[in-house]
Amino acid sequence: MIHIKQFSYKPGEHEAETASSSYLMSLIAIIVGMPLPIVNLIATLIFYLGNRKSTYFVRWHCTQALLSQLSMLLINSFGFWWTISIIFTDETITSKYIAYIIAALIFNLTEFIATIYTTIQVRKGIHIEWWFYGSLTNLICKTNS
Amino acid sequence: MKKSFLQGLITILLFFATWYALTQINWMNIFKVQQVTDKTEQKLGELFWEVFKNSEKEIKNTHVVNSVDCVVTHICKSNKIDRSKLKIHVLDKGDINAFALPNGHLIIFSGLILNSDNQEELAGVICHEIAHIELNHVMKKLVKEIGLSVLISMTTGSSGAEVIKETAKMLSSSAFDRSLEKEADIKAVDYLVNANLNPEPFADFLYKLSETEHEVAKYLTWISTHPDSKERAEYIIEYGKGKKTQYKPVLSIDTWDKLKTTLKY
Repeated sequence: MIHIKQFSYKPGEHEAETASSSYLMSLIAIIVGMPLPIVNLIATLIFYLGNRKSTYFVRWHCTQALLSQLSMLLINSFGFWWTISIIFTDETITSKYIAYIIAALIFNLTEFIATIYTTIQVRKGIHIEWWFYGSLTNLICKTNS
Repeated sequence: MKKSFLQGLITILLFFATWYALTQINWMNIFKVQQVTDKTEQKLGELFWEVFKNSEKEIKNTHVVNSVDCVVTHICKSNKIDRSKLKIHVLDKGDINAFALPNGHLIIFSGLILNSDNQEELAGVICHEIAHIELNHVMKKLVKEIGLSVLISMTTGSSGAEVIKETAKMLSSSAFDRSLEKEADIKAVDYLVNANLNPEPFADFLYKLSETEHEVAKYLTWISTHPDSKERAEYIIEYGKGKKTQYKPVLSIDTWDKLKTTLKY
């Protein structure tokens, strides 16, 4: 799921710190905005926009962090609104709903662990590419040269 | 590009596969989530019907039973509703009222039949109540107003007879949420049109009763518990407009008249 890859150049200390912060940002935002699935996306989006003109390594990791949050947003939003409809409308709790919440929790937890691991590794200047998001980031994020 | 697409597709599939695999487990049992089962509904239906059976007189006259049954069966047949699910009871009571109980019990007061100018009016009210049953409004209302725990305690016998009596009375004398009432009205018009019955008299019935509300207010349970009758009549007419022009009554005029005469004496 997670691949350690050789980046096109060796990132500097400052670059590694900023890139690592992009993941850290989503972790903190998850804790802050726990019930609302949108908060962590907004946090990573702000960080991404702030680092648009940064070096390739920083941009690359900001993009990967943002993309991973986007898909989580889809899964969590669906679960969030399903829960709201159970509380406020005639919708009732079913096995299907509980199964969805557990599936969403598994995916969120996997992403959470992967994010912590990546934050640490990227801080050390090690380039980490995630399954799917890594290749997608490669398509979106181009070098300046 | 192809690689990303493939990986994305696998990720989505993986999520749905996880979800699907997890749905195979009965989480409701594991987490002991209380839910309304068919058995709960069946038991509640019996309990509430008992209350009315003991307090009111059920009309068993063959002509009355057959005529009402004829209308209900025709509506069910035309709308592919399982007739055996419905249990119709006509009670000897002057109030203009009809209501649904859990498990398909439909109670009609003789006052409603006597105060209907024609069979289409009666059919309209019956359709409205069948719609409540078919759309599961009765159980939804009970869960919302009484709470699941109390309902389940009723079926296990740990709840007092007074609570059951009060709940049964509540079902007979209070309306559903505005949105549920509208949903049942619209469904009733569909049922009527499918059964080749004119929905207009149903709207007229609401109009008529809302106008005379003050004079005979105490007998108008059905109408006084269903607010905004005029507004309802208006959207029923609006919805039923241009649906069909050829309508055919279920009962012959003689049968309808005989039904009213039988109930009168």
